[in-house]
Amino acid sequence: MKAFVVAFLGSIALVSALQASPTLERARQLERSGDAVGARAMLAKAAQDAPEDVTALAEYAEFLDHFDDPQCRQAYGKLLTLLGKSGDRATRQAVARRLVMLDLLAGDRAAASRDGEAYRAAGGRLELPLAAGNPAGDTKAYIQIPGPLRSFARMAAVSTDNAMDDMMAALARNVVTNGYQASHSNEALEQTEYLKLVHRYLSQARELEKLAGAEKVIKVDSCDSPNAGDLLRILGYRMRGGCGSEVVLETVNASRAFLTTDSGFPLPELEQALRTNRPFSYDYHPTRVPVLFSADYWLSSREKEGGEFIDVFLSDPALCRLYLGMSKLDRTTAEELRKGVPVQRIRAFAHVLDFFGGMFEIRNGKAVVPGGSRAAGAWADLVGAPPDNGVAFFEKLIARDDGWMASYFDALSRIQGPALNYLTEPARLKRFYAAVRGKVTSPGPARPVFRSNADMMLLTTRLEIGPDGKPHIPGSLDIWKNLFVDHPHGKYDGKLTKSAAGWKDADDVLEALFGLCRKAVENEPLKIFMALTDLDRDRVKPLEPDTVDRLARAYRYFGSQFPIFNEAPNLSDKSILLFLDTAESINKIKEPLLRADTAGTMQALVGLWQIFIRQGSLPLARADATFSAILAPFVQVRNDRELFDGGRNGVKLLLEATGGKAARPQERMLDLLAGTSDAADVETYTQVVQEMTRVLEAQRIVSLDTLLEVADNLDAVARGEKPNLALLNGLSARVNEIQLPRASLTTVEKNALAFGYWTERHVENQRRINLRAVVEKAADKEKVKEARGLLAPFLRDTLVAYNYAHYAPPGAQILYTNPLFVRSHDFIGAQGAVHTWRTTELFGTGWPSNGGGRLVGSLAGLPYALAEAEQNFLVPRQTQALIWGDLVPQMMLSATVPRWWRVTPVQMHWVALHIRYAHSLLAGAALDPELRREVLDALSTQAVPARTLRVGSLLAEGQVKAAVEAVTPSELFAVARLMAARQKGRPGPLLAEIERLASESPDQVNYRAISAAFGTPKPTLANSYRPELLSLRTFPTLMGYSSRIMAESWESNTLYWATLADEMHVPPSQLNVRIPEWTERLVERIFASHLEDWPAVLRSLRLVGEDVRAKARSPLGVEQKAALE
Amino acid sequence: MLISRRGFFGAMAGAGAALGQEGQRPVFRIKVDMVVLSFTVTDSRNKYINGLKPSDLRVFEDGIVQKISTFAEGTKTPVQVLEDGRTRPLLERPAENAAKPGLDVRPDAFVGTNVFVLFDTSNFMYRGFVYAEDAIADFIRGLDRADSVAVYTFSRNLSRAALLTRDRSEAIAGLRRSVAGDDTALYNALLLALRDAAKVPGRKVVIVFSNGPDNASMVAPDDVRAVAEDEGIPIYVISTNEVNKDPISSGVFRRIAARTGGKAYWAKTWQKQVEAFESIREDLGNMYTVTYYPQPNPNEGFRKISVEIASDVAKKYRVRCRPGYRPRGGF
Repeated sequence: MKAFVVAFLGSIALVSALQASPTLERARQLERSGDAVGARAMLAKAAQDAPEDVTALAEYAEFLDHFDDPQCRQAYGKLLTLLGKSGDRATRQAVARRLVMLDLLAGDRAAASRDGEAYRAAGGRLELPLAAGNPAGDTKAYIQIPGPLRSFARMAAVSTDNAMDDMMAALARNVVTNGYQASHSNEALEQTEYLKLVHRYLSQARELEKLAGAEKVIKVDSCDSPNAGDLLRILGYRMRGGCGSEVVLETVNASRAFLTTDSGFPLPELEQALRTNRPFSYDYHPTRVPVLFSADYWLSSREKEGGEFIDVFLSDPALCRLYLGMSKLDRTTAEELRKGVPVQRIRAFAHVLDFFGGMFEIRNGKAVVPGGSRAAGAWADLVGAPPDNGVAFFEKLIARDDGWMASYFDALSRIQGPALNYLTEPARLKRFYAAVRGKVTSPGPARPVFRSNADMMLLTTRLEIGPDGKPHIPGSLDIWKNLFVDHPHGKYDGKLTKSAAGWKDADDVLEALFGLCRKAVENEPLKIFMALTDLDRDRVKPLEPDTVDRLARAYRYFGSQFPIFNEAPNLSDKSILLFLDTAESINKIKEPLLRADTAGTMQALVGLWQIFIRQGSLPLARADATFSAILAPFVQVRNDRELFDGGRNGVKLLLEATGGKAARPQERMLDLLAGTSDAADVETYTQVVQEMTRVLEAQRIVSLDTLLEVADNLDAVARGEKPNLALLNGLSARVNEIQLPRASLTTVEKNALAFGYWTERHVENQRRINLRAVVEKAADKEKVKEARGLLAPFLRDTLVAYNYAHYAPPGAQILYTNPLFVRSHDFIGAQGAVHTWRTTELFGTGWPSNGGGRLVGSLAGLPYALAEAEQNFLVPRQTQALIWGDLVPQMMLSATVPRWWRVTPVQMHWVALHIRYAHSLLAGAALDPELRREVLDALSTQAVPARTLRVGSLLAEGQVKAAVEAVTPSELFAVARLMAARQKGRPGPLLAEIERLASESPDQVNYRAISAAFGTPKPTLANSYRPELLSLRTFPTLMGYSSRIMAESWESNTLYWATLADEMHVPPSQLNVRIPEWTERLVERIFASHLEDWPAVLRSLRLVGEDVRAKARSPLGVEQKAALE
Repeated sequence: MLISRRGFFGAMAGAGAALGQEGQRPVFRIKVDMVVLSFTVTDSRNKYINGLKPSDLRVFEDGIVQKISTFAEGTKTPVQVLEDGRTRPLLERPAENAAKPGLDVRPDAFVGTNVFVLFDTSNFMYRGFVYAEDAIADFIRGLDRADSVAVYTFSRNLSRAALLTRDRSEAIAGLRRSVAGDDTALYNALLLALRDAAKVPGRKVVIVFSNGPDNASMVAPDDVRAVAEDEGIPIYVISTNEVNKDPISSGVFRRIAARTGGKAYWAKTWQKQVEAFESIREDLGNMYTVTYYPQPNPNEGFRKISVEIASDVAKKYRVRCRPGYRPRGGF
């Protein structure tokens, strides 16, 4: 083996620098084909067969490194020993350094020191960073809370999984959001029951603490000892029965007993001790909780005399808000503000700091501003203080315009690239802010419960800047002028209507949109602008101005349908307009049941078209023609027969366009819905199909085969042939299985409630149908032909059911329990409100007197609505936890909408390599300050300053494992991408492998392909269900969207699952069943404290990963796997 | 608060997979192999009738008489009913029984009852929360040694506070760990409890302890009831509300209890709750459980079950059992 020196980055690239051995070539072939296990075995055998062969061992070690295999360190260790004999110092250095990095990643400091010695022995220079955690160096301030943390956390609704440093901030948030409510009697705030209970608990805890004495241990020696009575009195219980085995504790004081049980006091243990007459002992030391700065900073001198810190803190929501705001700043910035701004002044703007302070950054005394030095002057003019004086700048910023200035700063701080350059051009920066500010600044965006600058954040984040550096205006400027001047639904804004006539360029439109961001009511123009920008974003050819105009004007009624057009970038303007024509003509159908069936059938067919396009079963080249051909018959539906024919035509078109082998329609449809019919992984494919079949069966859906055969038979009967009675009887048998919704409301009540009326008519009509009788009684051939119209409602349900079955979320229950769930889909909605083209919504929750919840509206938002409906059937693992209502549906749909049949092993490995490369960079950054600066710079494009700084501190302390855990998988992926480009050509086993794959498989590992394969659907952010990676900063909760946008900005799950699957050598095809399963477990393990607690998601993600690893690597798991293989 | 509960105030026993053919695709249909039927027999004064033997009973499905496979009374050891009507202890020949489809691998599967307690810990129960806990704890302590108990709590979501166990202290510890707060999704939780119970072999019951209102369920009570009916799981309901206060919930409780072979109680006070639990315990102790493999029956829909007492010539006895089931494995 040739010697080489590659110590940069502390990495090695033994293999990449050498001619690969024939064994490695063969192993790579196996890996490419998806047989990583075989490749590993081959390399392991080669290393085993030639224990003195450095190349064989190096190839094996690097292979293990590429897959984050736990044996990797051992293999490198052996290699190091072997190299020791060869005397190749440079290589020894490289291997030893790599080992140090892997040790740090594993959190094994002892091994890192040992391997560091080896590195130094080989001539390398390495200073291991000093580990933190030395109590002598602990400069944090602490406060005390009586009793154990667990009990307090239960009462205060804070997750005990939180880092101790974050405990007070989480508490502050709960007090701010849940602790106070408007008083019924006056204008003051009064404490909620939640906060009253926390106070009562503290009072009880103090009594217990007193009982615990100086040792702070509650002790009861025996059942009849005097302190048993004292303890029980405090706890609110008493003994029933005399001492001995009959003792039972029962409530005597309900208020106290509630606190006892709700705070998790070990009552069963106490009861058991009393019963067995054994001593009871319970550690009751108070909890020390770190507090920012010091307790003195937060309290006035009067407050200091008023009681313990925790009591004052809980009693003062403004103080909590300030604490929350300061906790979001990075430590340097917070410290500067603490020193430079009087607490009373900053307290007055705590709400602004809380919502918009997260991106504030003071470095070397200067404020970091969006747009950098070019925009510094403009910021100085806007704020009234120069960024060079960081403290004064931010002090003025938070006080300016009731928070509007801070919200503008925050929105711009979160973006980068061309949009940032454009928006921070000094003149424009001022102009757009003037539009945002308006004349009256109150109420500010930080006044409501959620940030009310959602529209501004969406506009700045999703603004499309063209190659010419100008923003993309869909259609033409005139369209937007006209929209404001002459809008069919009335004026948006009187002033803008006047000024619009004089608009000359894109800036004018944007100025108007910024101005409208202030509006408390729905900002329709912005939504139209964003929807149409998103439509144009990936289109082969931008939309024609006329199409844009029509879409803009139709947005109010059909805007929910626009994501459909995003499914195929080559969809023609003509087809889009045809869709609108069709929808409008369906609206004109007077007979409600026919209208509902027509809308349902048409939407279900379009839904199937979307699914097939997304999964690649329907070639893009045929997308447009198929789409318009499906729609054509629905433009004019006059009766059920025409509707059935339209539906049948749609099915035929879809089956034709998707090609494939000839099969029965139902079977083919299920193949297509599953995602493939040519899966090599038959087991996974069968599982997916079976799940869908179960849904169809549970919903008593009439098979497509039966419907088409019956229709054909009716045509044959009309031609004079005999009816196929077996077929008709089969249909009747199926119809008989349909039952009416089990409701306890009267028809009159239902009519009054409106929702559900038409769906019950729909079900009732189906039950009444007796096709055989109709055929037998038909007077002429025409009547027989007409009879196939009776099948139209069944066809609607079958097609709708395909959509439901495809999107069935993990852990679904309703689909298997309520046999009328699909049939009850209400395409009409309540009287007076046309829901036919609105997004899918959930109705009837918690209404036991109806037939269960149901979905209302179009099928446009079906994946989300289904996930929303089914989410509460997941069972949180932690007693205190609940399913995170706003976040979970998005996570579930991210696990069901994308399918991974076409993902290649190379693509999955590519993602995993990036994540591992990022790990490696972080480890390297702990050893190399220069690299640390670069890595943190890359990370700062994704993470907020406070976390970037925290990661930096952890790395400086050598706490690499903790640093890695503080970074999300999507951030790791983004950092790796950025750094891989910057470090191109530099040595390192992971980077070399990334570069090898990039050169070998450019069509598979280009960003577009990876984004489509491992991205998530973003119906709110990107107006599309097409999976993609946007690499955005994680959004906060926003007014009007709650956590929905935040959930969509969370892209880590799939990237993490792909990495996990790669590590476990799970074939990509299995992601189709593993990802839904893992996601279900992820959701059940989340134990969050508040609506922005994404670290709780990260913890849960890693816990599931650990479980999967442990199971796969347990002796039993390995044995089973071996047996299967 | 949406993520933590504390943020409030602000069977068909054996199932085998059969491979069918529909077109080219294998379709898996779950066939019912064995029906587990639990029932109580009372006289005209509502006194339990004990000591009946398999030969005293005739079980019908849609009027077709069924051949009883096993028989158990209360917590006594179950017996296998042989072809000639004789009986022999079931537990003595586990290996032989294990070969028979539908008989679970656990030899003592039919000894005692698997009791699933479903405790409403939502906002609605705040006031009576601790008393309810006491009453449930007393009930658990008083269960027969052969019985197993699981404690589930629910508000908007279900929590499996204590998995099925014969260790009473474990169950009570789980109960005492429960956290109060949030919305009520009673029927969602009941469905999940039934799904869990359905996976357990042997006799099982679900006891719901709630005050009634539901403001978060997605499934309708009758859909949940149908699951219990099909799985042969009696539902007992203890409502802490007054019967007339919430007529809709009361009606639903009455219906799901009656249709599954359970009972509904309205017990606002702690004393009444204890009495209700006592009554349930008594019911369990006096319950007969038979199993049988259904005789050929073309009815794929709802099959009506009836039990006759051969020795009851005057027809004075009252048999309380589920009215029937649908022969399909839902899950």
